[in-house]
Amino acid sequence: MEPRREKRVHLFFSWNYEQEEERLNELSLQGWHFEKAGAIKGTFVQDKTIRYTYRLDYQTGLKAEKKEEYVELYRDAGWEYVNSYGAMWHYYRRPWEPGDQPRLYSDRESLAALYMRIQKVMAVMLLVNFVILSANLMNWLRWLGEKHVGFIIPVIAIYLLVFGLLGYGVVKMGKKAKAVME
Amino acid sequence: MKDLKEMLPLTEAFYYILVALYAEPSHGYGMMQDVEKMSGGRVKIGAGTLYTALNTLLNKGLIDNFPVPEGTDSRRKMYEITQDGKTVVAAEIARLEELLESGKKAIVAKGE
Repeated sequence: MEPRREKRVHLFFSWNYEQEEERLNELSLQGWHFEKAGAIKGTFVQDKTIRYTYRLDYQTGLKAEKKEEYVELYRDAGWEYVNSYGAMWHYYRRPWEPGDQPRLYSDRESLAALYMRIQKVMAVMLLVNFVILSANLMNWLRWLGEKHVGFIIPVIAIYLLVFGLLGYGVVKMGKKAKAVME
Repeated sequence: MKDLKEMLPLTEAFYYILVALYAEPSHGYGMMQDVEKMSGGRVKIGAGTLYTALNTLLNKGLIDNFPVPEGTDSRRKMYEITQDGKTVVAAEIARLEELLESGKKAIVAKGE
């Protein structure tokens, strides 16, 4: 018989990824195991006979061959590769065992470095968005009076929201990195 | 090696990875096992820590890719230590010896 599958929203903020791990682990305890990432909803498969420990890893720029080596190294360390989200977040799991829960990053230096990597990507995105917005703004200002420019307000509102989130993320990841090293 | 001192002190993971490769070229799995054995089970390098450390060491030129021997699993990439890598290990050992000596001297002087 085909196992039952369900779709659940699995969006999370990058600075809260550890909470997402906890959520996946909690669902796994209840018999629902994360299997596949989607744009908004992820697929969970039901199996009451097993329980996993899930971990998320953040790596960018993994082309086909490099990705294979990457997944192979984690497999050697006992982690089953599950799926990836947006070619940045990679989901791993291993059968749950009582006691200390296994982690991908085993010392605080490498954990802080991971936080800084995430922070850097957010900072670059912030900068790129700023450049795009500036370029657009100049066009829109030229159009003023000529064309219908009612769309500008909502578009700027969306940009401000994106800036706000990325800016918050940059600050938050910096704080996390600092807290780990204290 | 333009700025050797920039690498020091090495984290335990970096140090043990370089020491493991000093002995012989190896792949990620071999290094994890070697390090756990050398440290008597104390240092278990996580997959994420090892993967990012290998990338960093490659970028800094302390290790290099090593051709995978015929007939072995080619999916497992192998690495070898470079001359710069050996220099860094030697410098770190000298630094650790100094720390050790100073600490021991202080304890002996106190006679405790």
